[in-house]
Amino acid sequence: MLEVTLKQELPGFTLDVSFEVPTGLTVLFGRSGAGKTSIINAVAGLSRPQAGRIVADGRVLLDTDAGTCLPPHRRRIGYIFQEGRLFPHMTVRRNLAYGARFAPRDAPREDMGRVVEMLAIGDLLDRRPGALSGGEKQRVAIGRALLAAPRLILADEPLAALDEERKGEILPYFERLRDEVQVPILYVSHAASEVGRLATSVVALADGKVLRQGSAAEVLGDPAVLPAGAREAGAILAARVVRHHADGLTELEAGGVPLFLPRIGRASGAPVRLRIAAHDVILSRDLPRGLSALNILPGTVAALRPGAGPGVMVAVDTPAGRVLARITERSARALDLAEGAALHAIVKTVSVAPGDVGGSGAAA
Amino acid sequence: MTPAALSGAAAIALSLAAPAAAEEITVFAASSLTNAMTEIEAGFEAATGHAVTVAFAGSSALARQIRQGAPADVFISANPDWMDAVAADGLLAPGTRVDLLSNALVLIAAEADAAPVEFGPDMDLSALLGNGRLAMALVEAVPAGTYGKAALTSLDQWEAVAPKVAQAKNVRAALALVALGEAPYGIVYATDARAEGAVSVVGHFPADSHPPITYPAAALARSESSLTGDFLAYLRGPAARALFEAEGFTALASADD
Amino acid sequence: MIDGVTPAEWEAVRLSLRVATTATLVSLPLGVVVAYALARWRFPGRELLNIAVHLPLIMPPVVTGYLLLLAFGTQGPIGGLLDRAFGVTFAFRWTGAALASGVMAFPFLVRAVRLSIEAVDPKLEQAAATLGAARPWVFLTVTLPLIVPGVIAGTVLAFAKGMGEFGATITFVSNIPGQTQTIPLAIDLALETPGGAARAARLAVFSIILAALALALSEWVSRRVAARVGGRDA
Repeated sequence: MLEVTLKQELPGFTLDVSFEVPTGLTVLFGRSGAGKTSIINAVAGLSRPQAGRIVADGRVLLDTDAGTCLPPHRRRIGYIFQEGRLFPHMTVRRNLAYGARFAPRDAPREDMGRVVEMLAIGDLLDRRPGALSGGEKQRVAIGRALLAAPRLILADEPLAALDEERKGEILPYFERLRDEVQVPILYVSHAASEVGRLATSVVALADGKVLRQGSAAEVLGDPAVLPAGAREAGAILAARVVRHHADGLTELEAGGVPLFLPRIGRASGAPVRLRIAAHDVILSRDLPRGLSALNILPGTVAALRPGAGPGVMVAVDTPAGRVLARITERSARALDLAEGAALHAIVKTVSVAPGDVGGSGAAA
Repeated sequence: MTPAALSGAAAIALSLAAPAAAEEITVFAASSLTNAMTEIEAGFEAATGHAVTVAFAGSSALARQIRQGAPADVFISANPDWMDAVAADGLLAPGTRVDLLSNALVLIAAEADAAPVEFGPDMDLSALLGNGRLAMALVEAVPAGTYGKAALTSLDQWEAVAPKVAQAKNVRAALALVALGEAPYGIVYATDARAEGAVSVVGHFPADSHPPITYPAAALARSESSLTGDFLAYLRGPAARALFEAEGFTALASADD
Repeated sequence: MIDGVTPAEWEAVRLSLRVATTATLVSLPLGVVVAYALARWRFPGRELLNIAVHLPLIMPPVVTGYLLLLAFGTQGPIGGLLDRAFGVTFAFRWTGAALASGVMAFPFLVRAVRLSIEAVDPKLEQAAATLGAARPWVFLTVTLPLIVPGVIAGTVLAFAKGMGEFGATITFVSNIPGQTQTIPLAIDLALETPGGAARAARLAVFSIILAALALALSEWVSRRVAARVGGRDA
């Protein structure tokens, strides 16, 4: 458990935050320049805020009132940087082992072999960072941070320097980190898709203040805290793979409702979490017939929230979970939508991108 | 106007505009002449209105530079050998060489009231030095050094003293080492010892213990200055003689020679 | 030509090597510390230190030699103290020649090392800190290996400068065969002595050969090290 309270004058705004980070992967979410990197640099000890208190697992890392400020090397925090920052004069193996020698003897350590296998970097061990691709470097960076036996892992937009394909490659490794390692992770990002894929809890920031803290579903469902507003809003559903069909579709089941997605590479029975963007959801009062969309979820209106423009965000409770739909006010009136109204939420199979389908775990 | 006419007009204008240009003369003089020559330079400039530039260094360095083409007009060396070397290259203006000055060689000590040293058969300079060094100019190259070595050799002191000698680049540098107290004793010209208050003379080397110290002066053949004759005459004249003798030199040549 | 080399000339060569090597080895740790301080730390007097380090580069060597004489001679404040306390003397000894060479070469060493320290990404040092390394460990395991090419370049430069030092040496410790008559002083003396041209030429050839060897060695080592440090597979 990490408790963070910080106050710092930054150019353009004042950083004033207070939040807690439970086990799992917490995303510090906000637009560029919202203060996210300042916060994790303060947590890591790389910068000293004007006022604040940071406690990790009961250990006080920073308390400006008491005058305590542990230097970075005493905090036992693994930091995965955006640019990797691997040591160019050491092999991958030596990079990985670097932190292990500084960890206290009694600290619970990860086994090098397990970490190498988890991150699939076995082939790279004798290579040097200069010869690795961006994705390979990030995997090694994850391993290096993990093998230093940290009590907390920080990641500063680790995927920002990678192209889409690489991002897709690396995301599963962060999922494994979240699911297989007990250390809490504080992950900085401005991408809603990463929140959807990875976050077990989210702290949404804007202009140095916490707007909202909660589960991924809660935050992604609230356009008021999303950097891109309603455009990024979406819902997160937990589903389970049923079987793969010959025509390239995978059938999943969520709360008894069947869902069809383009083929995903997971085994039958595997749990997945899906992000369904609000602007990809169509609403219909009656069960539609002759429609091309394969995913039709029956449900009732839980809430209606008009936006700044012509749109309105409709939250629909379905057996599969809460789904968000963004439609026009005009349509909402035309359909006579009100709380409790029964309707159907329709999602096109192909509108769910592979990047929005992630492994495991609780969505909320 | 054509370019030729333009430059011709410019030349005439310049020559009319400038007053009769002050001539210049460059003198290369041995470093032991520093104090005296500085005053003589000022005297000549005041008397004639012409500019004098004097460069001081060890005679060996000056001779080398002259032989390599340095633009000196007059050369005053601290021994005849280096003047001979320059003459051998055919660089002296014929008939201008004169023996200008003589000097004496002394043993100096770093302390103001050091005991005098006897130059008799019981002399043991090496014992006197102990662990200290004897400061001299370069003994193979600079005149003050070669005279010093010759004197010590003829007094049977050289073999014992040689390992304790600290050779400085020129006689003034040797003087400075003794003045600072770094070297307890040194061999310099009598004129140098007079110029430096921080040292005391503890012995005069007998004149017959070394070749006569003669300072020849001559004009150089390649000189383009018209002042060389005047300057050499000035050096032999009464004003210069007085200044040299005040420093402790013996003036050899007179203006009447 | 080798037959013509006199014992005095061999002596000058040996002495030069001894003086330059001592000067370089002794200034190396101090040079690295000063370079690190100038590159990474902020402290009052930093600019003054920078100027002091560079003075021997821009002052006439004779002036530097004279200042050394005043300070480190047996009558000088530092020289006298060292003599009384530790029995260490510089006046008229090869140690003085080494001191003169070291002082004149110091700015070259510091400049080269400082440049290479500044080229080390501080973010790498930050990363090492987050992995648990305290400042000295970061320096030893990350910074130092990465600056080795720069340190080598600086060392060779300092060595070469030490081999070629003249003005400060002769002013400080005079020309004493076997103690302070390094190759440059021997060459100078040979040039001043009638008939010494051949000796000067022999010594000059030695000088050039030694400098060329030092440069070639440093190039070779630099290339090997740079490949390892640059992150490419060796």
